[in-house]
Amino acid sequence: MGIMNAVPGILDPIPGGKHLVNMLDYVTNWARANSLWPLTYGTSCCAIEMMSSSMARYDIARFGSEVFRASPRQADLFIIAGTITEKMAPALQMLWEQIPGPKYAIAMGACTISGGPFMYDNYSVIRGANTLIPVDVFIPGCPPRPEALFHGLLTLRDKILSETFRDPWKEGIVIDKPYPDRWSEATKAWEELEKIKDEEMAEARLKFKEEQPGYKSPYKALRVAKEVFPEIPHQPKPLIGLPANTIFSIIKKNFPSVSPFDNDPSEPALMARPSDMPLDVLVSKEEYVDLIQFLKEDPRTHLDYLIDVTAVDWIGHFDVITQLMSIEKGHKLFIRLSLPKDDSIPEENRATSLLAAMPSIYHLYPAAEWKEREVFDMFGIHFENHPDERRLFVDEDFKGYPLRKDFTHPHILKRPV
Amino acid sequence: MSSRKLPPGFREEVLDSDTEEYFVNMGPQHPSTHGALRLALRLDGETIVEVVPHFGYIHRGIEKQAESMNYLQYIMLSDRQDYLTAIQNNWGICLAFEKGLGIGVPERGEFIRVMLAELGRIASHLVFYACFGGDLGGQTALLFGFKEREMIHDILDEVTGSRLTTNFFRPGGSVHDIPDTFIPRVTSFLEHLEKSMVDYERFLSKNIIVLERTKGIGILSKEDAIAYGCSGPVLRASGVSYDVRKNDPYGIYDQLDFDVPITYRGDTYDRYVVRIAEIHESIKILRQCIKLFPEGPYRSKEKPSIRLNPGSYYSATETAKGLYATYVVAASGDKPYRIHTRGPSFANLAALNNMARGHKISDLVSILSTIDPVIPEIDR
Amino acid sequence: MMIPSVPHPLGDWVRQMIPIPELAFLANALICIIAICAVAIGSAPILIYMERKVCAHIQCRLGPMRLGYRGTLQTIADVMKLLFKEVYAPSGADKFVFYLAPMIVLVAPFLVLAMIPFDHNLQVSNLSVGIPFVIAVNGFGILAILIGGWASNNKYSLLGALRSGAQMISYEISFALVLLFVVMVSGSASLMEITLSQSGTILDWWIFKIPVLGFLAFIMFFISSIAELNRAPFDIAEAEQELTGGYHTEYNGTAFAMFYLAEYINLITISSLASTCFLGGFFPPLIGVEAVDTILLKVPGFLWFAGKVVLMIWAYMMVRWTFVRPRVDQLMALEWKFLLPFNLLLLALGAVYIAF
Repeated sequence: MGIMNAVPGILDPIPGGKHLVNMLDYVTNWARANSLWPLTYGTSCCAIEMMSSSMARYDIARFGSEVFRASPRQADLFIIAGTITEKMAPALQMLWEQIPGPKYAIAMGACTISGGPFMYDNYSVIRGANTLIPVDVFIPGCPPRPEALFHGLLTLRDKILSETFRDPWKEGIVIDKPYPDRWSEATKAWEELEKIKDEEMAEARLKFKEEQPGYKSPYKALRVAKEVFPEIPHQPKPLIGLPANTIFSIIKKNFPSVSPFDNDPSEPALMARPSDMPLDVLVSKEEYVDLIQFLKEDPRTHLDYLIDVTAVDWIGHFDVITQLMSIEKGHKLFIRLSLPKDDSIPEENRATSLLAAMPSIYHLYPAAEWKEREVFDMFGIHFENHPDERRLFVDEDFKGYPLRKDFTHPHILKRPV
Repeated sequence: MSSRKLPPGFREEVLDSDTEEYFVNMGPQHPSTHGALRLALRLDGETIVEVVPHFGYIHRGIEKQAESMNYLQYIMLSDRQDYLTAIQNNWGICLAFEKGLGIGVPERGEFIRVMLAELGRIASHLVFYACFGGDLGGQTALLFGFKEREMIHDILDEVTGSRLTTNFFRPGGSVHDIPDTFIPRVTSFLEHLEKSMVDYERFLSKNIIVLERTKGIGILSKEDAIAYGCSGPVLRASGVSYDVRKNDPYGIYDQLDFDVPITYRGDTYDRYVVRIAEIHESIKILRQCIKLFPEGPYRSKEKPSIRLNPGSYYSATETAKGLYATYVVAASGDKPYRIHTRGPSFANLAALNNMARGHKISDLVSILSTIDPVIPEIDR
Repeated sequence: MMIPSVPHPLGDWVRQMIPIPELAFLANALICIIAICAVAIGSAPILIYMERKVCAHIQCRLGPMRLGYRGTLQTIADVMKLLFKEVYAPSGADKFVFYLAPMIVLVAPFLVLAMIPFDHNLQVSNLSVGIPFVIAVNGFGILAILIGGWASNNKYSLLGALRSGAQMISYEISFALVLLFVVMVSGSASLMEITLSQSGTILDWWIFKIPVLGFLAFIMFFISSIAELNRAPFDIAEAEQELTGGYHTEYNGTAFAMFYLAEYINLITISSLASTCFLGGFFPPLIGVEAVDTILLKVPGFLWFAGKVVLMIWAYMMVRWTFVRPRVDQLMALEWKFLLPFNLLLLALGAVYIAF
């Protein structure tokens, strides 16, 4: 209310006007502080605790805040519940700008304070919501309990109650600098304190040692009796479906070049394989689709269910592992494709270019579409004949492929050791 | 046909119609997309022509981060994937680690795991009940589901020290033993839950509007459910009896007597019915565990820092959402070379377009809530 | 209160004080407008508070507790806060129409309230075409929602507005037909006449007077009025879970407050209409026993009226928090395939009842 902000300028010089302005302040602050309508916004774990806080046990309605508005235009309070990633950041800022003033923000949970569990070694998490929007109250916890959210709400209430039209509400400043390395700071400060302490105590300690040379503390550290636990070996569960050697002999008959990945191909060795570890076969790129099609259609194996497609980066090459299962019989088979990295790409472009290519199995398993997209997104492996090969998790213009071992990103903060 | 360039992700040919289609963006901030999911809708009037989900709004790089953490530290990150079934995720991770370490779990430890996991399953299904009711427009159901869930959280709070992100299991057992009050509390909770489930089912299952809204909506055929890699209640509602607890048992599930509820139509109502029936099965399992609960050590021998034998390990567990598979590649050292988790929501959501096509926006919301996705588990 | 013929002490006093009849008429009209506005706008926050409490108690919660005694001041704080909020229109919006919509939405309920007889001599205007007027004016509310949704330049708003348009136009028909039923059986379109035709014991109210038919008509009225009010379970125009707020997605501050209040003022008007047409208006529920009736008759009529309105509002609230929302096409099907034929049948049966 622009007009209201001019009121103190007019009323304050008039005798008694100050009280009128104070009264006006009190009434508006009272209304604002007690009617905080939050925006329905949550990304992860904290959102569930935010929901819990509005439910029967905790009942945020007692404070008049149960009116969760789905539209930012009608909200006053932005509870940032959950981790904020770089892809979400523009959306978050836009939501904040859509809320009409006076508006307030509560950063709920460790992720919104500093990145929390995702602070170190992470390329996609924003370290602190205060680098995006001005935050009024921070609530620590991972996730904070609903009681903590209420404490945050009441803290914000106190903050609003101290506002005045003489210094009207205005949007705060975004602290757009990286989260300070508190750990190193604290370590340094502690070391300095210890040094001072040592210096100050040196004389006294020397004196004490001289006076009582054979002194031994009478106190003994209390220790809880250490529990003794038995050593129990791992017992695999009984085999489900076809045994590994049968599956392998079926494959071997039609595809002689296929070999087990981490196993001796001989029958006894395959028999000795623990029953809870599925057979892992290495296949060539040419035979990959044919083998999978054969295994899917063969009534003996009938591998009709795709568990997952994933990859591992072994510095020199990629391993793409296709995990298949038979719903009916229950046996599983891992099909491994070893893809050498493309050496023709110059060194400076390697990080941002696709280094390998392999055929897609989308036409056999529709489920493979997103899984292959994920491998493409994370490893930079091209899938031939894939219907929709786009980045899945990171932005379209993201540089590099995160799950490669040599991936670097300017936002990664190394964990101090 | 239309020469307009479609937004990314849309690929179906434009149908021959006189009406003009338009595109609506749902999310990442939308009350019924269950978190940070963004759905791009292509609509003809109110009818959905195509749905394209966009992910990554909560992509936290957990798999990358895991490579620079040690094995025990990673268990903490598994809580934050599917936070509604955190305790079951812990179990899935620990199973894979146990295979790599070659250690087992004592009987009491297994019972603790089963009981906590089933409590977690009930809690997750109650959230489903709540969100399902809420998404259909019945705000009161939302409150009802969360009401009983708080009691489970009280138990989890007492046992693990945390309401949501439990971080309780370790390779070989759990962090510590359960308190003496655990069994009596679970017993009294189950009695209470059975009583209130009667009310809750009456509130939604027999409501004529709910039946009209859900029956015959979002049908997923058996073949499609398998082809899209669906698992858990979504798969079982389509008539495929696959439950990891039954078909590929882990823990002590092979010693317990319980049924796998399945239905055959594969519509929204069936997915709801399957989940409600699973709550009753979980109650049955918990009752048996209370009866059989043994004395003895709760974990096997502790190691100060764990190092897996080099190799790759796979474990599969059934969380409330479905098949939760962990694939760990261990090299030398105390850090995993690579950890990959196969979240059930990711695969289940793949079938969304198939289910929602041809229905109205209101139905999309109810279909989405019966898939019961948890977005951080998809994005990781 | 005064305009055509209704005598009232206040109106008579004004007429005595001001000798010129035209001026007296104007003064009386002003008093009426202020009174109606005060009643409607004053009771809206109370109703919002009531709704939050009713909803909380259905959901095993407490509801607002902190502000005033058990949270009684909560909605006052809410409304004041909304008045002090920043007001702006989205960039692509048609500004004039955008701000026109929340004003229109308040007009309709006020015009309806002017027709309602609150007591024997407490009525703004006793039109002989009361019911047709009410039906006509009540349709005005759709216009606000339609143009508001269109002017917002938001796909969700537009979807909400179109849904609302389709819904309200459909339900208007059965709403009108049920009112026509009342007009038919009471033999007058004037709301005062309708009320007076229900004098006597509780069994003379239209809900009970015609066996079965009256009650069925009341149920029909209840269903179609929920749709008219755009309230859950028929709130497909807002549908928070689907459209994030429907037609008022883009409204903020004062404009949103108007929509917010209009919903509750509408609730009052429709409830008043229900109690006038079916629940005997300002007549006390006499049961035919002399001893009880004399006590009941001592309570002024407008209190009985208010009590019936509150009862109706409470029923609307209970329904709102119990049922889930039907889909848009199911809502249409309910109207065109069930309510409308049934209403026509009801009218025919009513005619038969009158004939014999």
